[in-house]
Amino acid sequence: MDPRQAAHTLEVIRTLMERTCQYRLLTAGASLAAGTLAILGAVAFCILDAGDPVSFASVWGFVFASSLTGSFVGTLLRGREVGERVWTRQTRMVLLALAPSLAAAAALTLFFFVRGEHLWLPGVWMLCYGQGSLATSAYAPAGIRWLGGAMLGLGALTLALGTGWAIVMMAVAFGAGHLLLGFALLSEERRERAVRLYRSVA
Amino acid sequence: MMNQLEALTRDNPVNAFKRLFDELDPLLHERGRLAIVSALAAAPRLTFTELRDALGMTDGNLSVHLQKLEEKGYLAIDKQFIGRRPQTSCQLTRAGRQAFTNYLDHLEIIVQQGRGRNRA
Repeated sequence: MDPRQAAHTLEVIRTLMERTCQYRLLTAGASLAAGTLAILGAVAFCILDAGDPVSFASVWGFVFASSLTGSFVGTLLRGREVGERVWTRQTRMVLLALAPSLAAAAALTLFFFVRGEHLWLPGVWMLCYGQGSLATSAYAPAGIRWLGGAMLGLGALTLALGTGWAIVMMAVAFGAGHLLLGFALLSEERRERAVRLYRSVA
Repeated sequence: MMNQLEALTRDNPVNAFKRLFDELDPLLHERGRLAIVSALAAAPRLTFTELRDALGMTDGNLSVHLQKLEEKGYLAIDKQFIGRRPQTSCQLTRAGRQAFTNYLDHLEIIVQQGRGRNRA
């Protein structure tokens, strides 16, 4: 075995180890779509009144449901593309790690709506989202860790700035944040495709 | 382990690669078994199905490799029933983990030797 072969074997081992414990079905497309939807949601409040709980719930409920559907479809397509099963141990681990944050976000959403203080929710959602992202960081790509950390900071900033900045911060955090993550994942997907092409040619 | 191997390669630079290669664990040096051990090194326990899907092996191929690794004492295989379904799960033993670490150390040294040669 020459040094080049040894280095290649080490690389393969590293990939195998990552593959065993990392969730690899996140898609750039779903992230870009979620970012775009969040920005469009924020833009909608140029016409709509953010202070109206019905408008607020309708717009962000639609953005959330559409992003979730996009992620689900993206994951299915990605699984088919790379020939991997979707319901794997990693998927279960990621969902288990996300569950407490999702439950907290749901409870706090209800709490703030009942009190009529829904404009505080963007900061709360960002904190929950950041916490959830960081909880999955052991199984997720590095981009998710960065997004989680940034969301925690932005959530705190949103709460500090007050309700007047809630919609703008939604566009910044969920819009721009997801777009950045999407571009990072896109370059990763292109790199993987290039490697697969190289392997198939070689 | 690392120091011992470094000393070995320093004392006999001409035959260093051959000796290092000879020292590689032959059981782990096989592609399929190395893949199994690598996957198990990253997760505390994996089921037969998870391993098969992660590594893209056939049932028969995976069974043979698992049996060899178990015979050598590198793997502990546990068979149980979950409801009415049988489930086989595997985990690395301490000996298996140690053998894997030693294997990685050997590869590291071979890579470092190569770098040293290129610099010279």
